Amino acid sequence: MTETILKATNITQKFGGLTAVDNVNFELHKGEIVGIIGPNGAGKTTFFNVLTGMYNPTEGKVYYKDKDITGLKPFQITACGMARTFQNIRLFAQMTAIENVMVGMHCRTKANLADAIFRLPRHRREEKAAEEKALNVLELAGLADFRYHYATSLPYGLQRRLEIARAIASDPEILLLDEPAAGMNEQETSDLMDFIRKLQGLGYTILLIEHDMRLVMNICERIYVLNYGALIAHGVPDEIKSNPLVIEAYLGKEA
Amino acid sequence: MVRKFFSGLLSGWAKYEKIVWIVAFVFALVFPVLFSSPYIVNIGVLCLLYVVLSLSLNLITGYMGITTLGHAAFYGVGAYTAAILSTRFGFNFLLTFLFAAIITAVFGLLLGAPTLRVSGRYLSIVTLGFCEICRIVELNWMDLTRGPLGIPNIPAPELFGISMDEPFHKYYIALVLVVLTVIIMSNIVNSRVGRGIGAIKGDELAAGAMGINTTNFKLMVFIVSAAIAGVAGAFYAHYMSFIDPTSFTFDQSVQILSMTILGGMGSIPGSIIGAIALTAIPELLRDFMEWRQIIYGVILAVMVIFKPNGLLGGFNLKHIRQRDQFAKAKEVAAK
Repeated sequence: MTETILKATNITQKFGGLTAVDNVNFELHKGEIVGIIGPNGAGKTTFFNVLTGMYNPTEGKVYYKDKDITGLKPFQITACGMARTFQNIRLFAQMTAIENVMVGMHCRTKANLADAIFRLPRHRREEKAAEEKALNVLELAGLADFRYHYATSLPYGLQRRLEIARAIASDPEILLLDEPAAGMNEQETSDLMDFIRKLQGLGYTILLIEHDMRLVMNICERIYVLNYGALIAHGVPDEIKSNPLVIEAYLGKEA
Repeated sequence: MVRKFFSGLLSGWAKYEKIVWIVAFVFALVFPVLFSSPYIVNIGVLCLLYVVLSLSLNLITGYMGITTLGHAAFYGVGAYTAAILSTRFGFNFLLTFLFAAIITAVFGLLLGAPTLRVSGRYLSIVTLGFCEICRIVELNWMDLTRGPLGIPNIPAPELFGISMDEPFHKYYIALVLVVLTVIIMSNIVNSRVGRGIGAIKGDELAAGAMGINTTNFKLMVFIVSAAIAGVAGAFYAHYMSFIDPTSFTFDQSVQILSMTILGGMGSIPGSIIGAIALTAIPELLRDFMEWRQIIYGVILAVMVIFKPNGLLGGFNLKHIRQRDQFAKAKEVAAK
């Protein structure tokens, strides 16, 4: 039995009269790649936001390695070891690629205001180490040549990659990717799949939301399916492909 | 063509940034010697004073992207702190500067803690209200501030028993403040803390997801910025030797904001240029008295239309230098 690293029990998220996520139970084991799929508006991103602390769930608990992290703020959850990307890319436009990655290292570096103002030796050492590490991360993401480009001047596919690189920089155990392949062409999607596999090889546990079934069915070991906020199926890709409930959710009932 | 010229100019500036700073500093150093007329030296002092104010506001507005209309309140609190401490308790100016920084930092905390929950223009309105509250308190708390009578006879700065009441003395004190502010600001923005501030401007939600405690960061920036403005206020009190509430009104906030915006949001040289331009231009235009406000208005309108983020807004010399050096290194490697 592999170690459970993230667990969510009975998560319900209501916005007024709308139940966006309805009593979802979820588990993530160390080292696996898990996908969350579902039609538009099924509550996937809302569920993600609950896991990463953007929302405080109406009901239910989230545990990271048996520690209750429900209701913690996003910055605290990132410090625990979970990092995410966003469906609509949210890079820092006025910063270069390397600076974006260095922001990702925020919770693994310590320099405070006084260190910065007085330029203490500790600050210099840390800055230097941070820059080197940022370069390594960019190298890993294949972005080293673009290190001094402004984040938003990069081509779309690379912006997605930079967002992942920024998340990696926070030394997470779990990477949460919200639609990493959205808007990518075939080639870019293939490259992304290779990249995600490479990350798994490096020991990251990966949870992703995705609409691109080729990507999901190819790389995910387990899949959760949401529809109208409720969990309608979960299992290995082959089970999901033939599950009548899932087919119904996507294609509608047979006449 | 024009664009190419400017990008070349910026590349050159970026490459020789240190030399440009030294030249500017040396010029500032010899300025009172070159123009010994007290009138011009006094304009120089005002320019330097506004450089400090505009830089401190730039930290909040330019680097963190929060528009506040209450900066004059911090400036005023600093001035009153210094005035009261030196006239009633005979504090030396170094001590009054220190206390002005501490007291305004506390005011920054008091304003920031409850109000930083709101954002955007709501926050601007709250800070405007804060500025008015401070002015009204200054105007009505007769025991402490003497209200509309103001506080006269604030002693000139005194060091080692020598009273420094000549304009050029004050000029050099202001220059020291400017240099300190520039060093503090540039050290802050080029650090982990500065990247956090920039991330908040870029995307607050993503900044939080990257592990930045955005509330604390915003509060910290408010406190630092307020403290710098407070020291500027303390300097103003010792410089003018008389203060009253009319110097710290909403108009003053807007004037400081115009300097920051004209010079360039998120640019240290920008704030310096903006402050000097908007302080010196009205003086240079004194002969065209009735045209002054019109010219001033036209300059601002033209800026807003053609370069809304200011003269140097959006140009980061460090980024330009890094990009140029990297391109050159690649060229060399290719050969």
